[in-house]
Amino acid sequence: MDEATEKAPGAGRKPKRAMSDNLYAVLLITPASIIILFFALFPLLYAINLSLRHVDLTSAVGIGPYVGLENFRFALNDKFFWQAARRTIIFAIGAVTSEMVLGIAIAFLLNQLKWFQGIVRSLLILPLAAAPAAVGLVWRYMYHPDFGVYNGIMSMLGLPERNWLGDVDLVMPSVIVFDIWQWTPFVALIVLAGLQSLPKEPFEAAELDGASTWQVLRRLTFPMLAPVLTLVFVLRTIDAIRLYDAIVSLTHGGPGTATETLTYYLYRLGMKFFRLDQASAISLLFLYVTIIFTAVALRSMMRAQAERARRA
Amino acid sequence: MQAKTFTMADLIRYTLVIAILILFLFPIYWMVTTSFKPPPDILTRPPKWTFQPTLTNYVYAFEEANFGLFLKNTLIVSVISTAIVIVLASLASYSFARYNTGAGHLMFFFLTTRMMPAIAVIIPFFVIFKGIGETSIGQALSLGLDRPGTLVVCYTLFNLPFAIWLMHSFFQDIPVELEDSARLDGYSRLQVLWRVVLPLAAPGIAVTAIFSLIFSWNEFLFAFLLTRDVARTITVGVAGFWTHRGILWGPLSAAAVVCVVPMMIFALVLQRYIVRGLSFGAVRG
Repeated sequence: MDEATEKAPGAGRKPKRAMSDNLYAVLLITPASIIILFFALFPLLYAINLSLRHVDLTSAVGIGPYVGLENFRFALNDKFFWQAARRTIIFAIGAVTSEMVLGIAIAFLLNQLKWFQGIVRSLLILPLAAAPAAVGLVWRYMYHPDFGVYNGIMSMLGLPERNWLGDVDLVMPSVIVFDIWQWTPFVALIVLAGLQSLPKEPFEAAELDGASTWQVLRRLTFPMLAPVLTLVFVLRTIDAIRLYDAIVSLTHGGPGTATETLTYYLYRLGMKFFRLDQASAISLLFLYVTIIFTAVALRSMMRAQAERARRA
Repeated sequence: MQAKTFTMADLIRYTLVIAILILFLFPIYWMVTTSFKPPPDILTRPPKWTFQPTLTNYVYAFEEANFGLFLKNTLIVSVISTAIVIVLASLASYSFARYNTGAGHLMFFFLTTRMMPAIAVIIPFFVIFKGIGETSIGQALSLGLDRPGTLVVCYTLFNLPFAIWLMHSFFQDIPVELEDSARLDGYSRLQVLWRVVLPLAAPGIAVTAIFSLIFSWNEFLFAFLLTRDVARTITVGVAGFWTHRGILWGPLSAAAVVCVVPMMIFALVLQRYIVRGLSFGAVRG
């Protein structure tokens, strides 16, 4: 390789073509690609291998013989798996819907502020930056039935005190409220940025035509905002499905199994009971569904990116 | 500049905004005040709103619970993995932005790996790091269970796709003409990258670095399952106040403040770019 001639600036002369653009481009991405491929492929192959064997690290079997699709049959008949999947979906729908509605409303509100918009925006960033595992524990204290501040406020207002995380019917909404607290600002800030980057002309034209506020929203604002809304929705949904830190810090999946989501069930099966075979089979099913969802849904993100690049 | 007048509608708007801010900031306020409460005032019913501030909880967290070590581990792991991520991601995303390598498909594939649930891949990671840890290479490179090198690897893997996407959006902003003219002036491709492109992309690199740092700092699952004592990080350390004798809420809040506040400050520094970062570069603030 003539790296030396490449490096010497040949005063005004056209540089020697030492390497094709293609080769150079490929060399640049090689280090990152190796690492990411390893990350993506190794665990996948390993999990496939485990899922086809009998593995029980708590018994003498250890990593045992191949058993075909036995573990997948177990997974599909495992009522805990289906319950966990159901809870995950309930959580995701509850949390993401509330965050979208609240976040969009807050974004519209902030967009109309004449003063202090910047400060309000900055303050809303704060919950986003906090590690969920750490603030989740603080929320656990705030939800405490005896010493928690939420019950303190309830009694100040003359409302009945509740056992927020100890009541089977109340615990999921409580976890969802925590998620709403942390992630509504995410929706609000991105939607606000989307609102502020909309072109002015169509709105001025609509005003001249005497369109009502509702017509403007329905015909102009929301359609033009659609790519950003889709993106936020997809990113939030992917995160909600993967929820783990908040469950560990708030409830440990309890009371009973009332907040045991898929991630927490996998943790219990794999890392507590050491049934790596069954856990791997379920992981693969889980992974399969998330990857399909991600791949389909994120295409919109790709499109938004391409769109922007074209405009730039 | 038109004169702004305060109307009735503004009154309603600002009342709403204040209510929203109180709701969103109250948990942070409560965390910070709890961390300064004397232990007897923490377990009262009803909760106390006023108290004599004390540093007892911070002293306990650092002196009795070894929180300093967790803080140090987190710092080391986040900084090293961020440095590696920045080097690898700037090369890769420059290649994607300038040469459209893989026609978008490869970059998209990278992104899907970032969306995998970590718990679904943790078992293979656990087994391989356990294996590596028992070899001499593992010891030399500080890889293995409860070793900081393991987390550096995990966080590098975890943050690379994100960093590539975010930087890509910054590299795209750099006009190709600048590079072409530098090439005509006799710069080699590496010189163009080093002397022209990277300095122009410096704000993007800085933003990406801070985001990677925040993600590594806040990460819990890998740290929780792959470390025990020696390499334990701050997020897991906070959970460590959940002992078999009960939860030590005071030191826990102090630890949570130490964990959370630096990242909040970073996020405020980033605020111009926060939307761009959170949306993987897709939406500009």
